[in-house]
Amino acid sequence: MTSNLNGAPLSTHVPGHDADTSIMLDGFKITTRKLPILKAGPIEEMNKKLGISPPEMIFGDNFMRIEYLQSGWKIDFNAFDALDRVDKTGNAMLKVSYSKEWQQNRSKQFEDIKEVVKPFDWSYSTDYKGTATSSSLSFEPSTKPIPLALLKRPDPILFFDDVMLYEDELADNGIAMLSCKIRVMPARLLLLCRFFMRLDDVVFRIRDTRVYVEFATAEVIREYTAREEKFEVVRKALAETREDVPALMRDPNRLTDLLPIVEKSLERLVLK
Amino acid sequence: MSSGGSDLDKAIQQLRACRPIPENQVRELCYKARELLIEEGNVVGVDAPVTICGDIHGQFHDLMELFRVGGDVPDTNYLFMGDFVDRGFYSLESFLLLLCLKVRYPDRITLIRGNHESRQITTVYGFYDECLRKYGSANVWRYCCEVFDYLALGALVTGTATNLEPSEAPFADPSSQASMPGLDQDIEIETLNSNGEIMFRFARNGEVSQPSQAASAPSSSPLVDTPSRTGPSGTGATSSSNGSRGNDGGAVLCVHGGLSPLIDTIDKIRLLDRKQEVPHEGAMCDLLWSDPDEIDGWGLSPRGAGFLFGADIVKCFNHKNDLSLIARAHQLVMEGFKEMFDSTIVTVWSAPNYCYRCGNVAAILELGEDGSNAGFVRRANGDAGRKQNSVLMERGERGREGPGRRYRVFEAAPQDSRGMPAKKPVADYFL
Repeated sequence: MTSNLNGAPLSTHVPGHDADTSIMLDGFKITTRKLPILKAGPIEEMNKKLGISPPEMIFGDNFMRIEYLQSGWKIDFNAFDALDRVDKTGNAMLKVSYSKEWQQNRSKQFEDIKEVVKPFDWSYSTDYKGTATSSSLSFEPSTKPIPLALLKRPDPILFFDDVMLYEDELADNGIAMLSCKIRVMPARLLLLCRFFMRLDDVVFRIRDTRVYVEFATAEVIREYTAREEKFEVVRKALAETREDVPALMRDPNRLTDLLPIVEKSLERLVLK
Repeated sequence: MSSGGSDLDKAIQQLRACRPIPENQVRELCYKARELLIEEGNVVGVDAPVTICGDIHGQFHDLMELFRVGGDVPDTNYLFMGDFVDRGFYSLESFLLLLCLKVRYPDRITLIRGNHESRQITTVYGFYDECLRKYGSANVWRYCCEVFDYLALGALVTGTATNLEPSEAPFADPSSQASMPGLDQDIEIETLNSNGEIMFRFARNGEVSQPSQAASAPSSSPLVDTPSRTGPSGTGATSSSNGSRGNDGGAVLCVHGGLSPLIDTIDKIRLLDRKQEVPHEGAMCDLLWSDPDEIDGWGLSPRGAGFLFGADIVKCFNHKNDLSLIARAHQLVMEGFKEMFDSTIVTVWSAPNYCYRCGNVAAILELGEDGSNAGFVRRANGDAGRKQNSVLMERGERGREGPGRRYRVFEAAPQDSRGMPAKKPVADYFL
């Protein structure tokens, strides 16, 4: 029985969170899985394996996958692998805006409480670019960009999904979220895995991984773009828009242009 | 609008239909609520039976589901542990309804403050924007914030029963009945689903094994020396009469977040000046923000602000203050509730499918009334001993038995789709 949970229910399935959807096209199979956040047991397990405590909302069962059936090559996007790339040492650790003030007052009162519990990058910033099968086929650096013109054409969308991998409210100091979107058209697909983070009064980060597949040539292009800007700079820019600033601060689509690129890479792989 | 009058009942009716009440009525309601709340201490005394609820976060339809599952006000005595607003789409209706019920039935509902009942937090996380959208000005938000400053910081539940009166309900899974303790045993925990069916039953000292985390709970910290004290728990008062142990489940402290290194007795909470915006540091801030964690003693959150506290801290605090349990909210748990540290602290979470996408269930905690003393509520007191745990067993003391706990678990209400994120994502030509 569930004695270690003292009666907490085993089955917490909520309707409307039904598992897998997929589509097959030109030898490619695209699968997405959407389930509720993890329960206490799996969270503890993940905590042990990762060595850091997972985000508050951890969709550990979810994933998005692109497979090339002929060779078995695939690329996966999931929360565990993304979190495994979060800094676990505390070297890249941010502090909330009022931390200095708080620590000064605190250290006067409690000299004995010095230890920071399990330091790690609690903003869950990740440079995750997906988990690709390690075979002879691997991504090579490239200069060929994703063909935007082809993606701007209003081709019919045969398959679309939006999958949340994790989200954390940073203890009400902002937001960190990692999510994936995919759209499959008759001749190509685009996947966007986006990490968005706002630490109030400190910093904004957007880290995008785009995977583009041209079915006819089985060509895969992967592009990674990291953007970052100080909170105050963004706030000032938004103040001039006369729009709903709090809403804009939650919308990475509206923020990308305000955050300069700090890192960019392009890779390419042909599967046949 | 006169309290207890038909105007108030009309407002309740309107809010139950999820329709906001006019601004002038909100002003009057908030004024009345403040008059009422100012009379309450920082730690409100509540007699069992009581139903304890965690975060609501503006999920109005789920609050209605909570009342359906737990019973209506005033039939059920409720204690809400804060975070009424932000995140959800109906913070305004949810908070005003709870406030109306408080003014209408002050002795049947207790509201304590969460970290979201704050000017600063509500301007970032939705409540401010919602007020602006629904009234065209920030007046209503301002009235509500003034009420926030008067909300109590905690509650102390006394007169609880050690053993649950078993629910006369069918088992959700009839085949599981055989493995559950029979009715001849003392019931410590029962978990019911939203149909009132029994999902789980746990006998005190019964054959169902103790929580596994009990074995791993740290027990290294020495106990502070506790003076013998026999007055009402939390008061520090003494009296010589103790009475029989009977079915007394001990006192339960309810706070939104948790403990503070500045607070070692409940009396110290009583001495705080609470009528202010939630400060960024200090005891009041800690009570609303801190979290229990699997650590020894106190720790600093890696975020650079905020405290974490371990099992030894909870056990010492409970021992010193003659508590059998701390109930708190503040953290999302998939199962709706989570007991930690040998059941000396529990997190209760009452917002199902949080933010309309987490897929979690919610729970409320019912504590029964100790009727064994013919209506005389014998307060918990120092001599009765402690919860069984290794720290105290080493001292050769008897464990205090905690209150019998009935958890009702429920799922998100089917809601109207206004403003809800679509279940099926809308395809878009993102780049």
